[in-house]
Amino acid sequence: MRLSVAERATREVLVVGDTRPDLLEGLAAAGFHVTEAQPADVADDLGRPDVVLLAASLGLPRVALLSRRAREAGAPGAMVFADGDLGALEACVRAGFEFVAPPYSPVLLRGRIVSAWERGRLTARGEQRAVEETVREYERDLYVAHELQAGFLPDVLPKPPGWELSARFRPARMVSGDFYDVFELLDGRRLGFVVADVCDKGIGAALFMALIRTLLRHNAEHTPATLAGGSDLSPRLAFGTGPLVQSVVDTNRYLVGHHLKQGYFATVFFGVLDPLSGGLVYLNCGHNPPVVVRADGTRALLRPTGPALGLSADSEYAPARAFLNPGDALFAYTDGVVEARDVAGARFGTAAMLRALGPRRSAEELLDAVDDALRRHVEGAEQSDDITMFGLRRGLLGIVP
Amino acid sequence: MAFEAKSHVWDGTATVRLRGELAAKSAGQLNRVIAEVSAQPLKRLVLLMDELTYLSSAGLRSLVFAHQRLGRGVEIVLVGAQPEVAETIRLTGFDRSVVMQEPV
Repeated sequence: MRLSVAERATREVLVVGDTRPDLLEGLAAAGFHVTEAQPADVADDLGRPDVVLLAASLGLPRVALLSRRAREAGAPGAMVFADGDLGALEACVRAGFEFVAPPYSPVLLRGRIVSAWERGRLTARGEQRAVEETVREYERDLYVAHELQAGFLPDVLPKPPGWELSARFRPARMVSGDFYDVFELLDGRRLGFVVADVCDKGIGAALFMALIRTLLRHNAEHTPATLAGGSDLSPRLAFGTGPLVQSVVDTNRYLVGHHLKQGYFATVFFGVLDPLSGGLVYLNCGHNPPVVVRADGTRALLRPTGPALGLSADSEYAPARAFLNPGDALFAYTDGVVEARDVAGARFGTAAMLRALGPRRSAEELLDAVDDALRRHVEGAEQSDDITMFGLRRGLLGIVP
Repeated sequence: MAFEAKSHVWDGTATVRLRGELAAKSAGQLNRVIAEVSAQPLKRLVLLMDELTYLSSAGLRSLVFAHQRLGRGVEIVLVGAQPEVAETIRLTGFDRSVVMQEPV
């Protein structure tokens, strides 16, 4: 049984939002044990506080949602504290929220918090209505985000002569941190393709997906064909390394320079294919290794050549190469494939995925083979992570230069 | 499996023992523990990982977040990561930003 707040030696108070020193001092002097957090820190888990104090300036929608979350976590809802935004405080009070305001004297704080706690009705009268209205708004926003995100994926896949491409994209939620992209470079003489996974999922990952996809593609489309300073690749392969390396380096620099504090990173596989020769130069930035499936059934993994984007300003990216001969295929994917779980929690795994990857007659059949094995494994278990698959196959009558 | 993070701080070293699965649902819990221990000046953050059975990309994000929050002056040491967890860390290249150690 949960002890009442009056009986317990220490009461845990969670303060969410930008706190004020006088409030913290008052709470401590009143004998409360205080934990501070920002809304993002408690987005997934509030812990087990006795009382939750929310900054009024968070605004009524967030206050109402956090208050409901507090009740779900076992606390009797939440109170608001005045933090300088009178309009926001009034909105919360009109909705029925209990509040504390300066001066934050230990005696007043203790009196208000304990009496509110004991009445057990921190749950505001207006909370339910505010929550419902907010949830409806969020649903509308998410739907719009879902539609917008579709615009950040290719409408149709290019079809270079002698090649066939195929892609699947299944977000776990309305929006996703995964993406794939395919675009022509250097007047169609090269084909760029990207499979990437922004860490985490949901709307935060989706915002970064839009940013990273745009930076990669924009940088790639506006960079000369070869790297300044030369390289040890043959001229044919070196042609196209400019957009590849420069776009990855610039995107990493941008992310580290502007978004380091948010802690997002993205694993990216970026390939630049010469459709005439089958030569491929690529960077694997911390991404699950794509698999080259040879016409004879042997497989090769295209392992990381550098760290994920957004981790460090010092990251270096040197391209690697591979060749796709007639009948060879390449399969790229995100970790949602190998980490998909069945109802008992067992993961699909890389070994099972590799077993499904044999020579097939088309890129579509290659993806079908993995998808069939994956579906047999999960058998109706809820999808917990975004799933992206991308296949590229050179026809047996591939054009030879 | 549920996630647990127990911490203690002594002489500028924060030690956090991780247990269970660190994924989207549990990342917030670790973020809070890291925020709590980094309220005081730290020289080193040691994460004991031998009982950590799974690390998702959202979980790894919370380690990256800790790394960025603490800054370059604070060494982060990951001790005894199980093979799959270590593989996830190495694959993304985050192992270059931290020290990875076998259990002592």
